[in-house]
Amino acid sequence: MNRKVLLVGLLLVVPLLGLLLANLGRDPRRVDSPMIGKPAPPFSLKPVAGGETVSLDALRGKTVVLNFWATWCAPCFEEHGELQRAARSLGPEVRFFGVVYEDEEERVRTFLKQQGSAYPSLLDDGGKIAIAYGVYGVPETYFISPQGVITSKYAQPLDEATIRRAVREAQAGTAGGAS
Amino acid sequence: MIPGLGRALILLSLLLGTVGAMLAFATARRPSPASWAWTKRLAFAFSGGLVAANLLMVYALLAHDFSVGYVAQVGSRSLPVWVTVVSLWSSLEGSILFWGAILGVYVSVATWANRNRHPEYMPWAIGVWLACGAFFSFLLAGPAQPFATVQFPPADGPGPNPLLQNHILMAAHPPFLYLGFVGMTIPFGLASAALLAGRLGGAFLRPLRTWLLLPWIFQTLAIVLGGWWAYEVLGWGGYWAWDPVENASFLPWLTATAALHSAILTERKGILKGWTVTLVLATFLLTILGTFMTRSGVFNSVHSFTQSPIGPTILAFLTAALLWSVGLLAFRIDKLAPEGRIEDGKSREAMFLVNNLLLVLFTFTVLLGTVFPLLVEAVRGVQMSVGRPYFDRMAVPLGAALLFLMGVGPALPWGRATGAQVQKALLPPLLGAVVAAGLGLVLGVRNSWTALTLAFGGYTAQVTLGELWLPISQRLKRGTALAAALAEVTMGAGRRRFGSYVVHTGAMLVIVAIAVSSTMGISKEVSLKPGDQAQLGPYTLTFLKSENLTEPHRTAVVARIEVSRDGQQVAVMGPRMNQYERQREPVGTPDVKSFLFHDLYLSVMNISPDGQSLGLLALVNPMVGWIWGATGLMALGGLLTLVPQRRTAAAEAVR
Repeated sequence: MNRKVLLVGLLLVVPLLGLLLANLGRDPRRVDSPMIGKPAPPFSLKPVAGGETVSLDALRGKTVVLNFWATWCAPCFEEHGELQRAARSLGPEVRFFGVVYEDEEERVRTFLKQQGSAYPSLLDDGGKIAIAYGVYGVPETYFISPQGVITSKYAQPLDEATIRRAVREAQAGTAGGAS
Repeated sequence: MIPGLGRALILLSLLLGTVGAMLAFATARRPSPASWAWTKRLAFAFSGGLVAANLLMVYALLAHDFSVGYVAQVGSRSLPVWVTVVSLWSSLEGSILFWGAILGVYVSVATWANRNRHPEYMPWAIGVWLACGAFFSFLLAGPAQPFATVQFPPADGPGPNPLLQNHILMAAHPPFLYLGFVGMTIPFGLASAALLAGRLGGAFLRPLRTWLLLPWIFQTLAIVLGGWWAYEVLGWGGYWAWDPVENASFLPWLTATAALHSAILTERKGILKGWTVTLVLATFLLTILGTFMTRSGVFNSVHSFTQSPIGPTILAFLTAALLWSVGLLAFRIDKLAPEGRIEDGKSREAMFLVNNLLLVLFTFTVLLGTVFPLLVEAVRGVQMSVGRPYFDRMAVPLGAALLFLMGVGPALPWGRATGAQVQKALLPPLLGAVVAAGLGLVLGVRNSWTALTLAFGGYTAQVTLGELWLPISQRLKRGTALAAALAEVTMGAGRRRFGSYVVHTGAMLVIVAIAVSSTMGISKEVSLKPGDQAQLGPYTLTFLKSENLTEPHRTAVVARIEVSRDGQQVAVMGPRMNQYERQREPVGTPDVKSFLFHDLYLSVMNISPDGQSLGLLALVNPMVGWIWGATGLMALGGLLTLVPQRRTAAAEAVR
């Protein structure tokens, strides 16, 4: 055995591997949203299914989950069921809304008719609200405390457990008197 | 149906690869004709499985079968057929699938080419190839599954990343890159085999060199096609940015280039055996490191695939491959004893050593710059990037030194040289250096590095062209006609030598063109309204109007710009801004007009919705086109040296 070769080899290899391992799981695209801890931008939008305009101001006192989605987005489809289950089980104190992102009203209507929904989806004409929230792509979900402050943002498809946890955090925003 | 069949093919390949690798190693330890025959059969069958899985995926893409996970992810009904086909490698899972197919083809061809040769090495090599193959099949079977079943298939998919739909070069760059990257598995297996067998004889150097050279040619083309694509698509006017993933493709190229040179010394003198195999192993390891960089989400880059779960799996493979290589070298390198030594520091051999030293130094420099940000973030917790200045500061002197060495090395004799011989060899090319540098100064070169590069280029040009001309002139003196002499030189006995000087000519031109294009260009950012004019060097640019175009998968605003020189219209150019269906940000496509010595490059920075206000980036880029052409020359030279010498020996015998 050539000890010199082994030593030099390991000296090169081990630090490199350590470095790569230490950085594994880091997301170079992660940018913490500047919106977190700030008051949620107000909106007042019409539901796809018709009916009363929904405005954030009127929802003060309730925890709000705002999910930006589109029919063309496959991950949105994945999380659709999870969101429905969470919305049904979390009760009336937590209000869920979909916000349609860059999509055609007709397609959204058909999608909702086929898949069903436990909560209304809102039409964001011209994407103004998406811009106000800093939506980069879909799906993105914002959790808003009863005081109207954004407590967290997720830019990935969610599962029910994550939704529940984020809702608890948003509600805890009350307990801590964060606003 | 398709998802199930695809998964079955992948599982089959995993099985065949694993069993084949084990059988191959067993055959290497206890050779028997039956197990050797079965080893080869399993290698072919493994390849067949992966190739079939790829064809199935292409079919699913073309048929818009959105029940296949990968198709639902990257397919779209509104795409042109070529985009649909290239979306095979546009996203993570498909790109690994494609990797598998290329590996399969390489393994089959390399096995077939050596089916009756090198029995003491080949089972080891096939074992290593199939072990790598089994790993990629495993990736496809689990962490990066392209054939997942979609329970509720969507009616249509989003299509691939628009940047990848923007230019036909996208159909060329990735396949070449894979042919380069994946191909390095073959010399890795051969070098491992040499270490395992405990010898590296002259005969086995031939396949080692051939199978290193072939992916090297692809890699050379791939790197430059990538630069060309960036130049034609990204719209910032450059072709290289020292992006981590560009570096990832460059690193194995550097070590492979070093290995090709040290293999010549091993072949001619029987020296540097351990060093040559080390470089070959390093080349493969760097391709896997590069793959990790693109697919782990650790590095951010235009190339990186989005957050993916395969990072840990690839890191595990990289770890295994690194430990395998270090262990193999530590335990076996002493078996590869040298058969000679370098006799003189003024010889060509010594220059090969300097060349290797420079290339390895270059590799470490780039590697360090690439992983340094990770180190800083791990230690200090702050995000940073090593910018262009670091890389440029290091790469410019190294590139210039390599260019000079390409002149000095071939000028010096093999073996020993007296002082007088050295003077006679090295002094005359100074004329070329002076002429080239003088010409540069007259044409306006003021940057001292560019002037130095031109001088070194002139020096090397004189040596290289002399070496190219030598065999031709000898034949002309013997009375052979020029065409016949050329044919003999490029097809006959001296082809390998001739080809390598063709490669050097290309490399020399590439380095000079990089130096000139990066220091001698002019650029301007202007805002224009219809009818406005701007002056850029000798050109007058007039913004005529904007046009809206609708294509099946995108809409575009094209800015029509008239280009005139000395009052004469030269061209009407149309840089554009594309808006893809289902993508939020518009993507610009520059327009490039190439002349012999420079390109005129126009890129839309922004354009108002009514088309009345245009932000335009305009550049004159000297000699950029020469980079593409000269790389073609390098590839051509590589091909000339690639064709086996055996046939040449036969031709000699006939003569």
